Amino acid sequence: MDEKQKAVADEIIDYLAKSLRLPKENITYDIALFGDGLGLDSVDSLEIIAGMDQLFGVTLIGVNDGVFANVGTLSKYIIEHPDYKGRK
Amino acid sequence: MERIVITGLGLTCAIGGSADECFDNALAGVVGIKEVVSVEHEKCYAHIGAEYPEFVTPKGEDRASALAIKAADEAIKDAKLDVAKEADRVGVILGSCVGGAVTIEKFYRDYTADPAKASGEDVLKMPISAIANNVAHRFGACGVIDNVANACAAGTMSVAMAADLIRSGKADAVIAGGSDPMSSLAYSGFHALHALDDEPCRPFNRSKGIALGEGAGILIVEGYEHAKKRGAKIYCEILGSGVSCDAHHITAPSPTGEGMQSAMERSLEHSGIAASDVDYINAHGTGTPLNDSSELGAMLRVFGTDGKVSASSTKSMVGHCLGAAGSVEAVFCVKAIERGIVPPTVGYTEEDEAAMREKAGEFDFVPNKGKARKVEYVQSNNYAFGGNNASIIYAKEDAPRKLTGDDGERVFITGIGVVSPMGNTVSAYAENVNAKAAPSICEKCGDAVSTVGADDFAGVGIKLNFYRKLDKLSQMTCVSGKLALADAGIEVTEENATKIGIIAGTSDGPQTDIANFQKGIIANGTQSGSAFLFPNTVYNAAPGYLSISAGVKGYNVTCSNGAASGLAAVGYSSRVLRTTQNDVILAVGADEDSDTVHMLYEKLGAFDAGMKLSDGAITLVLEKESSANKRGAKKYAEVLGSGSARSDVEFGKFGDGETLKKAIGIALEESGVTAEDIGLVMTCSNGVKSLAKAESEALIGFEGAEKVSVKDICGEGRAASSALEAAHAALMLSGKVGKTAATYALAISASAGGTFNAVVLKKA
Repeated sequence: MDEKQKAVADEIIDYLAKSLRLPKENITYDIALFGDGLGLDSVDSLEIIAGMDQLFGVTLIGVNDGVFANVGTLSKYIIEHPDYKGRK
Repeated sequence: MERIVITGLGLTCAIGGSADECFDNALAGVVGIKEVVSVEHEKCYAHIGAEYPEFVTPKGEDRASALAIKAADEAIKDAKLDVAKEADRVGVILGSCVGGAVTIEKFYRDYTADPAKASGEDVLKMPISAIANNVAHRFGACGVIDNVANACAAGTMSVAMAADLIRSGKADAVIAGGSDPMSSLAYSGFHALHALDDEPCRPFNRSKGIALGEGAGILIVEGYEHAKKRGAKIYCEILGSGVSCDAHHITAPSPTGEGMQSAMERSLEHSGIAASDVDYINAHGTGTPLNDSSELGAMLRVFGTDGKVSASSTKSMVGHCLGAAGSVEAVFCVKAIERGIVPPTVGYTEEDEAAMREKAGEFDFVPNKGKARKVEYVQSNNYAFGGNNASIIYAKEDAPRKLTGDDGERVFITGIGVVSPMGNTVSAYAENVNAKAAPSICEKCGDAVSTVGADDFAGVGIKLNFYRKLDKLSQMTCVSGKLALADAGIEVTEENATKIGIIAGTSDGPQTDIANFQKGIIANGTQSGSAFLFPNTVYNAAPGYLSISAGVKGYNVTCSNGAASGLAAVGYSSRVLRTTQNDVILAVGADEDSDTVHMLYEKLGAFDAGMKLSDGAITLVLEKESSANKRGAKKYAEVLGSGSARSDVEFGKFGDGETLKKAIGIALEESGVTAEDIGLVMTCSNGVKSLAKAESEALIGFEGAEKVSVKDICGEGRAASSALEAAHAALMLSGKVGKTAATYALAISASAGGTFNAVVLKKA
C-alpha cells in the first residue's frame, strides 16, 4: 500500500470508527468488513457509500461486492477512480 | 363491556381535508403524490411526497399537533361528542412516528446558528407526547392520555389500545388515531436507506420504495352502550386486534412475513372470526420491495389466492403517513364499511395486472378504482421499524363475532432488571440502596447518570456487532430487559417467544440520536442523512433492539406520555396480559441523559425549577399467575390495579392534587383496597414546587403509610424513575430492600401535561 492509498485507508478507518461506532483498534486494513470480520450489515453499507461520496467524491453505487471486502480494497478502488481528486 | 363502536371520523391528508373528501378522492383513484414543498430536496434522488396542500400551521403550533387538532375537531363534531361534559371519561390516544420533527428542525437550525437563540418553547413542541396532550387540552379531555410511538404501526395500535381501554372500563370514549407531518428527518432518513421511490409508489406492483406522506386520522372510539345512550350515529364496530414482533431486524421485516402473519392471525383469533369472513384488507403496502414481498406472502398464506377478499394499499394515493398511516387507513376502512365500496391500489396497467396474476393468482388488489362489494368485516394492517406488527378488525354493526374477553387472571412481578445511577442488576441496586450509597454522578453536568459498558453487555450476552449500533436509550433498555428475563429465570425458546411481549414507556425517546441525525442534515443537506443513525430516531427502536437481542416475538408497544410512562406501562401490561395470548410482558420504563438532553431540560428551565435530572432503564417482568405457577417462578409482588387522570393544563405543566387523588382513587377501587390498607407510598415529587403541592394534597389520608422517593435516591429519570417506583416497591414488599411491614404499596407518578398515574401492588 503506497502513501497515497494509506492516507485514504486511514481516513476510511476514522470514518468507520466514528460513523459506525466501531472501536478504531478493531479496524485493520485487511479485516473483512462484512461476515466474520467486522460483521457490518446492509444499513452500514449504505452509510459507507454515503461517506465515501461525501469524503472523496466517489460513488460506490452498483460496484461489485469485492470493493467492499476490506479497507484495503475500498481505498484501492477510491484512489484509482477517475472522480477521485483527493479529499473533497 | 365488549362492544366498541366508532362514532366520529376526521381525516386530513394529501387528498383532502375531511373524511368524506378523502374517501371520495380515494375511490376515484386521485393521487396526492407530488413534488415536495416543505422539505429541501434539491440534491436528493427522489423529489416527491404526499403533502396536505391547503394547510397553514397556526402560528406557534407544531405541525403534528396542528394536523391532529384539525382532524380531531372534525371527528368530535361528527360524533357530536360533548367532551367537556364528561371530560374525566374521555381519553386521547394518538400514534406518531416523528412527532414534533418540524419543530425539531427549527430548534436545531436556531441552535446551530446560536445556541442562545434556540427556545425552550420549541423544546416543548418536540416530543411525541405533546400531540395527545395538545389535543386533550384543546378539547378538554381529562381521561387516560397516551401516545403510541411505534413508528409506522402506531396509528393502528392507538385505535386498538383505545378499544381495549374502554373494554377495561377505564374510559367511555377515546379520541384515537395518529398524526405525522412531512419532515426533513423522515425524508432524509428514508432517502438514506434508499427506501424512497423517485416515482409515485405502486405497492405490490413495480414499486421501488415509499412515497412519504403526512396527515392525521382521528376516530371517536366509544363503548356501544355509551354511544346508544346518547343517541350517537354508529359507523361500525371495532372487534379484536393483534400485535406481534419479528425480533429480526431494526428496519427490515422478516422476509418470511412470519410476524406479519402472526399479527393478522391474532386479530382474527381475538375477534373470533375466520379469515374467510374478511371482505376487505387495507394492507400496509408501503411500496418497498422488502415490505411488499413479505406482506404479500403473509396475506396469501392467511387468505388464499381465490380472490374472495379484496386488498388495497391506499398509500398509493396518500403516501406513507408513518405514525398516522394506520389511523388514516382506519378512516378509509370505516368509510368502506359505511358505503359498501372499497378503495383501490392505483398505478396498475393491464400488463401489471397480468403480472400480478402470475404472482398472486386471483388475489384482488382492487386496481385503480374503488369497487362496490359486500363489506362486513375489514382487516387493517401496519408494520413498523423495530419489527412491530399490528392488525385490527373493523366490522359492520351487529356482525357476528366471538371476542376473547378478559380472563381475569392475576398478574405478578416475577423479575426485575435495573440499569440505574445506583447500579446495574437488581442485586447491585438493592445493595447500594440498603447501604445508602451515593448514585454515580456525571462530572461534567452534575446529573445522576447510568453507565452501560462492555462488561454489562457481556453479562447479558450481547455482542459488539449489535451494541455498537445502539444509542444510550437502547443500550440501557437492552441490558435492563435481558437482566429482567434472567432475574425471572425465563429462557426464551421457540415455544415461548410468541408469548413474551414488551410494553415500553419513555418520556423523551431517543432525543440524542434525533439531534445527531438532524444536525447532520442541517450541516450537509437532506441528501446526506445518516442511514446508520436514522433507525435510532424512532421511539420504539430501543424496545425493538431488545426484542431482537432477547428473541421475544409477542406484543410490542411503545408509549410516550411524559415521566409517568414507566408506571403507565405497568398498568397497561397487566391489562394486555389478561386479554391477549401473552403470558409475560416486559414492562420497561427508560429515558436517557446526555449533553443534548441536559441542554433541552436547561432550555425548559427544569433545573431552575428544582429538578435533578438522571436516567436509566427499569424492566419489570409481569407474568400471568398460571404461567408463573407452572414454572415455579419467584414472585416479588402482585399488580392489583391502576388508574390515570388528567388535569386540564397546558403541555409542560403538572396537574393538581385533586386530579392525582382521582387517579389514586381509580387504582384503589380496581384493587379493592382503601387508603388505610396502603402501608407504603412511592412518591413522585421531583423538586418542582407545583408537583410537591399536588402530591401533598393528594396524600391526605395516607399519613400512616411509609413514603419513599426513588428520585431522592437517584434523581428524576423520568420514565425510568416511574418504573423504578414499581420495582422499588416490589423489592420492599418482598423484603429485598429496606424493612417494611406493608402488605399493599401505592406508586404514583406525574407527567407534564397534567396526567397522573397510580398503581397498587400487593405483597406476593
